[in-house]
Amino acid sequence: MKKIIILLVLCTLGISCDDELTIFPEDSLSVPTFFKTEEDFTQAINATYEPLRNMYNQSKPFLTEMSSDNTYYARNTAFGATEQQEDIADHSIPSDGGITANSHVTNVYRDLYAIIARANQILITIDEAEIDETVRANVKGQALFLRSFAYFDLVQLYGSVPMHLEPVTDREGAALPLSTEDVIYAQIVQDAQGAISLLPLKSIQEPGRATSGAARTLLANVHIVLEQWNQAEILLKEVVGSDQYMLMPNYEDAFSENSSNKNNMESVFEIQYREGAEGLQGNFLYNFLPRPIEADEVGAITGTSNPQPINGEGNNIPTPDIIAAYEEGDLREDASIQYVTLSESFWNDGVYPIIKKYVEPHALHQNHGMNFPVYRYSEVLLFLAEALEEQGKGGEALPYLTEVRTRAGLLEASGDLGEAIFNERRVELAFENKRWFDLVRTGRANEVITAFGARVFSNPNNYYYPVGAEPRGNSFSNIRLRYALPASESEFNPNF
Amino acid sequence: MKKRFYRNSRKFLLVFSLLWGITVMAQEATVTGTIISSEDSLPLPGVNVIVSGTTVGTVTDFDGNYSIQVSSSNSSLLFSYIGFTTQTIAVNGQSQINVSMVQDAAALDEVVVVGYGTQIKRKVTGSVQTVDLEDFADIPVTQVTQKLQGQLAGVQINQTTGKPGQGISVRIRGQLSVSGGSDPLYVVDGFPIAGNINTLNPAEIETISVLKDAASTSLYGSRAANGVVLITTKQGKTGQTNVSLNISTGIQSVPQRGRIDMMDAVEFAQFKKEYYEDQGSPVPDIFQNPSQYKGQTNDWYDALLRTSPQTIYSLAISSNTEKLRSSVVAGFTDREGVVLGSDWRQYTLRANLAYDISDDITIGVNVAPSWVIDNTPRTDGTRGQGILFNALHTWPIMPIYNDDGTRTEFNRFPADTGNIFSYANWLNSAERITEETKNLNLLSNAYIEWKPINGLSIKSSLNAEFYRSQYKYFSPTNATFRINAPIPTNNEAIWDNRDTFSWLNENIATYTKSFGNHNFSLLGGFTYQKFRLDRSRFEASDFADDRLPVIQGATNINRAGTFDEVQENTLVSGLSRLTYDYKGKYLLTASIRSDGSSRFGSENRWGTFPSVSAGWIASDESFLENSESISLLKLRGSWGITGNNNIGNYTQYALIDNNVPAVFGDTFAPGSAVNSLSNPNLGWETTKQFDIGLDLSLFNDRVSFVYDYYKKNTTNLLFNIQVPRESGFSNFSDNIGEIKFWGHEFSLNTVNTTGKFKWTTSANISFNRNEVVALAEGIDQVFGDYHITQVGQPFGQFYGHLSDGVYLNQEDLDSSPQVPGRSTVGSIKLVDVNGDGVITRGGLNDDRALMGNPFPDFTYGITNRISYENWDFSVVGTGSQGNEVLVRHLFSTANLDGVFNLIASVKDRFRSVENPGAGFFGTTVGGGNVTGIERDWINDRFVADASYFNIRNITLGYTLPGLEKYFKSARIYGSIQNVHIFTKYWGGPNPEVSSQNNGQGDGGNLSQGVDLTGYPVPRIINIGVNLNF
Repeated sequence: MKKIIILLVLCTLGISCDDELTIFPEDSLSVPTFFKTEEDFTQAINATYEPLRNMYNQSKPFLTEMSSDNTYYARNTAFGATEQQEDIADHSIPSDGGITANSHVTNVYRDLYAIIARANQILITIDEAEIDETVRANVKGQALFLRSFAYFDLVQLYGSVPMHLEPVTDREGAALPLSTEDVIYAQIVQDAQGAISLLPLKSIQEPGRATSGAARTLLANVHIVLEQWNQAEILLKEVVGSDQYMLMPNYEDAFSENSSNKNNMESVFEIQYREGAEGLQGNFLYNFLPRPIEADEVGAITGTSNPQPINGEGNNIPTPDIIAAYEEGDLREDASIQYVTLSESFWNDGVYPIIKKYVEPHALHQNHGMNFPVYRYSEVLLFLAEALEEQGKGGEALPYLTEVRTRAGLLEASGDLGEAIFNERRVELAFENKRWFDLVRTGRANEVITAFGARVFSNPNNYYYPVGAEPRGNSFSNIRLRYALPASESEFNPNF
Repeated sequence: MKKRFYRNSRKFLLVFSLLWGITVMAQEATVTGTIISSEDSLPLPGVNVIVSGTTVGTVTDFDGNYSIQVSSSNSSLLFSYIGFTTQTIAVNGQSQINVSMVQDAAALDEVVVVGYGTQIKRKVTGSVQTVDLEDFADIPVTQVTQKLQGQLAGVQINQTTGKPGQGISVRIRGQLSVSGGSDPLYVVDGFPIAGNINTLNPAEIETISVLKDAASTSLYGSRAANGVVLITTKQGKTGQTNVSLNISTGIQSVPQRGRIDMMDAVEFAQFKKEYYEDQGSPVPDIFQNPSQYKGQTNDWYDALLRTSPQTIYSLAISSNTEKLRSSVVAGFTDREGVVLGSDWRQYTLRANLAYDISDDITIGVNVAPSWVIDNTPRTDGTRGQGILFNALHTWPIMPIYNDDGTRTEFNRFPADTGNIFSYANWLNSAERITEETKNLNLLSNAYIEWKPINGLSIKSSLNAEFYRSQYKYFSPTNATFRINAPIPTNNEAIWDNRDTFSWLNENIATYTKSFGNHNFSLLGGFTYQKFRLDRSRFEASDFADDRLPVIQGATNINRAGTFDEVQENTLVSGLSRLTYDYKGKYLLTASIRSDGSSRFGSENRWGTFPSVSAGWIASDESFLENSESISLLKLRGSWGITGNNNIGNYTQYALIDNNVPAVFGDTFAPGSAVNSLSNPNLGWETTKQFDIGLDLSLFNDRVSFVYDYYKKNTTNLLFNIQVPRESGFSNFSDNIGEIKFWGHEFSLNTVNTTGKFKWTTSANISFNRNEVVALAEGIDQVFGDYHITQVGQPFGQFYGHLSDGVYLNQEDLDSSPQVPGRSTVGSIKLVDVNGDGVITRGGLNDDRALMGNPFPDFTYGITNRISYENWDFSVVGTGSQGNEVLVRHLFSTANLDGVFNLIASVKDRFRSVENPGAGFFGTTVGGGNVTGIERDWINDRFVADASYFNIRNITLGYTLPGLEKYFKSARIYGSIQNVHIFTKYWGGPNPEVSSQNNGQGDGGNLSQGVDLTGYPVPRIINIGVNLNF
């Protein structure tokens, strides 16, 4: 008691009881105590990958695949509240004043910046930490890779965006002005180069993490977008010559099954999921199903023990256009697309195509573990063919294209080589979030989507509108090469 | 010291033997008599009569008569009564002693409980209102705050949901905060409690003092800005030994008034038929002939309700000997809810003991354990979260019962009927889902008070509160609160166990001294308080067997919902108050408290909270002293600073979330990420408050009137400022912004008649206003889903689109702004607020605007009490004017796609240019692309006037005569709670409603006044009996 009174007197006089009044939380660590050990940095880099799971599960495929002529939504006339997806697929996103409230546009933006913020926390502290040099190089390389990857998506999706390279520590630093695309690209290149120099080869790296091969492929992709063909060629040849990658003999085996076959020899980088209750699962297969679909119909696709009916509106449904794009005898068509019958559908006979690449049996409803491909070796080959062809080295380019076509059961391409590569990319990489970016970087987006829109308007029933239903009046009225910035972010950033 | 204890314990034994001896020696002589008041010669009931120096005593009956047995003719009798001078009269062989009691001038100076002590009411310079809970003993509610509804000027008490034991929101002088809490500080017998005020049994409470202005609250420093509620529990009183038993029982039911008028089966089928006809598509068979459903409505909402009993028992024993005062209250309340499957039970005990060790030392112990069990299975919340909402909009043609009388398990019609959702049988959900909370609360205090010299008191106390709540939720495979989860579904469970321990040491000295006409009282002290919460939460699903909902039976543990939590804080304070008056009519009080709190950032650890107040009793001046009409005229003024430290225990720190895992290949990889920004400057919210008041009593106190005007400025608001997500964070906690509050409060008490027919009225009315002066730099508004808090406007206003009927025809459509690609003839027409020619939603410059205010213009209460002979009668009414409610459930109950049942007024919607309906609801043609605007773009058609006047309670009592042999007094009464609500509110039964999507709160300060059709507030018809022995 005496002690307390003395303490109270002292405290009240303000002399010394900071110790009494300093209580750190017991149930979580705080910044001053973190970012010290190898384990801290490993956990921090692991968390940097985390936003990718959410992003690839729905919103990014909508922004980069369903916005193209490869997929569309399948209208369910009994269901409302569908405009967030429809606006993307039919290019009618309201974007007054350069901003939009579209939820998918917002989600992807937020996920990408979460990656950047986590990478920045690592990059600002890791050089000072007393940790093993190999671990430092590996973690730092992954952080640079992921930051580069995130800004590359941002610049392709949104154009000019704020560029944060250090952790935000106060409110004032939270909102930055927009940086130009040039400035952002320069940073992307610098980060990717850093990642290349720090990251190990795939054969050494823990499967699923970023590798030097992934970083080279990423940087090559950047150069291709910037039409710096020679730089791309050099990097891609290094990947090819690294002896780390091969095409899987069967196209359908390139896509990960639910637990085995992940990060296979064709895989350069893929988004990692795991089925189960830890929250690491995906459910993108379900997001890409037409609806309303009955429990048994779901079960027939997924093989789960507890299938449930799903209502709403189906998204990312393959269009007749992509189906027609497969050449006669292309083995990839049956490996990429399958057909399901929905007894309760309002559309025709209810027989819809769905993306087969992601159909893998799993145990529980809405919970699967297959990975989402980002870069596959076949794309490395197609990138290389394209880089060579653009430099007038068609002869050198052709064998790489043929290697991809051979696996698909096709002969050497004929006709214009550039067109052949472009079309090959469409079918080889269908539903892998490539088509929209390809249309934009090649300057074909307006033309292709306008024509696609005309086909939808002239024959809505072909595009999954039930008889009597029409595309909305403003469909295909706002074809833009960049998405508008999120309205909810503009509320807090006075710069846009 | 040891010796003294020994001596005292011997005295204690002596007291016990005296008690024991009562029956043995009390046979000598009987004294009877009548006691009257000297003033009006009317008999005085309830006067204490005690044989001096013993514990033998009685009280006078209703007619002022008493009868007492004395052991010896040399005994003296002690007559005492509150407000009258105590008299001692020697028996001297008399068998009849009649007494005329004289009012005690000093005793007229009623004492009120204030912070850290008591004060003579006449000399109080702050704004304090006291309620004697005895006056509300008959109101059959279980939460003390419910009893206070309508009694306190400037205090808005709303019952936001009828969930048993929950849902009362208390706001003193309209105080609110952006991110910090807004509940007042509850102080029980001097101990600011950490637990839930609603577990306290109202029968234990003697008085409640509500401290409103800064002068009366500033001694509570950094916790005082929301006002302070001082609760004093029943103490043993000098001169009384009493046993009191109260038993009441009643039935609860949900009145028909105000229920949402939904379509019946015929109307619904007719709607669906028209829906298909208007689309030009074939009508499904089941809607071809709506009249086939005549008399076959399945009213799911009504089926969930029941008439249910409640019983309240309370036993109070108060006894007193020369040295020991004790009060024991035991209570049991059993309340079955009016919604199936819900109930609430409370077991309480409180023992308050005070013992005089010697003439100058008193020790006291208060111990109050309570045990409350509450089960309310997911009743509240939005569509797919709350069973009541689900039931409200389930198709009335879906059967509750099978033909054989058993309940259906789940309903889903073929897709061609437009039934895109499946529904479990909500009656099963209510009964099969467990959502139970068990609260164990142990509140205890011990103190020692020493009065070494005249006028000086030194008191040291140790207070401890142990609060354990065990929450268990289990939803078996054959029940769900979700929609679209066909039965059987996955079973799931949540356990959430919290142990809270809080202790407080206070050391307070008070010295009172007069020099001539100068009267001083000085208080000083130190306090030290610690708080710790240990919480464990588990969330699991897929149990192998519904009969074994134990963790080891679960297949999956949900990691995000499974965690341990520790919360701690320390508060170290010094406080002081000086009270001074000159001749008892010029009054001055100054006080100061300094708080050091672990919650505050390292750069901002100590806060100082001063206040000063003054008063002038003008009626004591010579020019008014002899006034016939004015018995009291007092002017008061105060100013002070208080704080709000409800900012979270660790908000200042940048924390690491260590549950951000990744997977590589098939290997689980734990991950950690920084999830908040640090702020070493983080501190309390500061409220500066100015108050002036007037106390006026007229005609011998027949009329008394109190007026207060206040003005407050709250600055340094704890504000989770949203920051752009490009930072990787969503918000930053800072002290920023300013809100001003001001208001007028009027209270009037009148004694309308005296004598046999006694009638008193008390009434109050309050006008509270607030305005946001500033938010963060560069941020002029904070958006909610349908609220906005904006500089220059009151807090939390409804924000959305303004509607202008429907597009009546093509010409109207062509000439009006539209939602691109979505507006059609017959669809809702919204106002183009920004004038850009199109209707848009999202961003700062869209077409949303202010559309309503959830705060009232004024609130009021009126209570009348009448007694005549053995009868007593009271009626309590409360009201609120000008507040609006957002009828949020319309997003489902007016969903024009026909996927849910609808409110009946949708019948009168737009069907064609020739048949445009009432202009309120638009066309059903076009599907969600068209109808979605009407329901999802929240607009002013959803805003309803929720002004009301509620006859809250009527009680009629009758004191039974002729039972004096058995009881000191016996009374029976009947009481009706929530008699009738007069209101134009059409969105549901409860105009006080405020709810949030998950059904677990009232929406917080930024999002008040949203109606998601929560648990209805029942009407309670109650009868009871009070017996005093």
